[in-house]
Amino acid sequence: MRVEITYKFIMGFIIVVASIVILNLVVPMLGIAEVWQQLVSVGGAILVGLVLGSLFSKAFTSNIKIISAAAERISNGDLSQPIQLKDSKFPDETVDLAISLNKVNENLKELVGRVRDASVKVSDSAHGLSATSEEMTASSHELSNTVEQISRGAEVQAETVEKTSRLIKEMAVNTELVAASSIKVADAVDVTAQTAQGGGEKARHTTERMMQILQDVERSGEQVVNFGAQLGKIGKIVEVINGIAQKTNLLALNATIEAARAGEYGRGFAVVAEEIRKLADSTTASSEEITDLISHVQDEGQNVESSLRDNIKEMDEGRKAIDLTNKAFEEIIATAVNTQTKATSISELSQKQIEGANLMVNAIEEISQVVSDNAAATEEGSAATEEQSAAMSEMAHSAQELATYAETLAENVKRFRFENELPGA
Amino acid sequence: MELVLIFKLADEWFGLEVNDLQEIVESPELNYVPRSPDWILGAMNFHGNIVPVLDLAKYMGLADSAYGDRVVVLPIGQKALALGVSGIHRIVPLDPDLMLPCQQEEQKELHIRMLYNHDGTMVNMLDLPSLLSSLETL
Repeated sequence: MRVEITYKFIMGFIIVVASIVILNLVVPMLGIAEVWQQLVSVGGAILVGLVLGSLFSKAFTSNIKIISAAAERISNGDLSQPIQLKDSKFPDETVDLAISLNKVNENLKELVGRVRDASVKVSDSAHGLSATSEEMTASSHELSNTVEQISRGAEVQAETVEKTSRLIKEMAVNTELVAASSIKVADAVDVTAQTAQGGGEKARHTTERMMQILQDVERSGEQVVNFGAQLGKIGKIVEVINGIAQKTNLLALNATIEAARAGEYGRGFAVVAEEIRKLADSTTASSEEITDLISHVQDEGQNVESSLRDNIKEMDEGRKAIDLTNKAFEEIIATAVNTQTKATSISELSQKQIEGANLMVNAIEEISQVVSDNAAATEEGSAATEEQSAAMSEMAHSAQELATYAETLAENVKRFRFENELPGA
Repeated sequence: MELVLIFKLADEWFGLEVNDLQEIVESPELNYVPRSPDWILGAMNFHGNIVPVLDLAKYMGLADSAYGDRVVVLPIGQKALALGVSGIHRIVPLDPDLMLPCQQEEQKELHIRMLYNHDGTMVNMLDLPSLLSSLETL
């Protein structure tokens, strides 16, 4: 049965008052002198009060001691033992207090356990965070370096683009020169083609003239040959005449012999025979002269013929040479026409190239703009990365601090110990 | 006036009195004479007479053969003979003042009677009787 301390005190007081009353009634019956009666009843009442008081205070103070000891333990961090009060027939507030303290103890246990776990976890997380942030710092340093490299690369790119732009402009200028040159080439080739056509024309005229001359010369050669043949005929006739002359000569000789044999009568005949012989001799002489002349003329004719043949050969070769020249001119014309076409197409192509180069220059300028923007952006990125890096460093620092805090917390919580644990373990 | 026929034998000039010859013939057809000496060119038909033709240059030892298609026919009498010569020059009147004697050795071998100076050219005058007699002795 639960009785509050207040009621216990009231009950004690009532019991003391009741004992005083009862003693006041009992003592006169005991036969004790009246002088002592008052004294005995007061003494009895004080005794009863002392007994009750000591009983109450003993029970009360022992509980308080236990609770106070437990509170002392808890305050020292020992959460291993719950409070165990002596069983009482009349539990009071000390029991409530013990129960409450036990609850406190339990709650503290749970809290400290949680704090411990949490602090370990926080410490681990902080360590992890610190490591991660260090890694991130390193990464951001690398990133920063990379960004710087990119920045430098962008600068180099910008320079390269500028160079490229310059080169393309130069190329455009050169292409213009090429176009101008190809136009000049086309003109020159036109002149060449015209000249070659003129040359070909002249070569053809020359060939025609040479052909005419050749025909004339061949005709002359034939005439010379005919002339030689006719001379040969004349020679044969002269030979016949010569034979006749020789026979006449012989006849004259025989006539002379006959006349000599006739003596005086044959004298006139002898004179005639002598005249005939003289005629025959002069005929022979003339025919020999004619033969000589003929052979001379024939020799000359052969010379003329051979020289004509030589001429014909030379003219033939000349004609061949002219043919070759003509062909060469034709080839030159063909080549010139071809070259002209090519030069024209080169001119057109280089014109297109110039246009393309101009477009390229524009495009390159745009690229240049983009590249400079890029460079600027990269520099900004570099700065941002550096800032990020700094922030990361700070974060790492904070994570380390957090870890320290977590450790401190764990350290603080450590002094709370549960069952069978040594303090500080 | 005596007339002389001047003819050529090899490279030398020879002469013969016109009275000693019958006729001059050009390139007659020559027939082979069996078992004849090599200085007989052959036999010709002269107006129906068979006349042997002598290679005179060869016979006289002037050259191997110098027959030039001219034949001098001697008169057909006691013995028919024709002389094959290199060529006929002409018939000239003989000037006796220009006749020169010749050496005995030449006369024997070449049957030369005398030398005749015809306009500075030396003409061997043929000794016909000597020639004919030498042929007789063969």
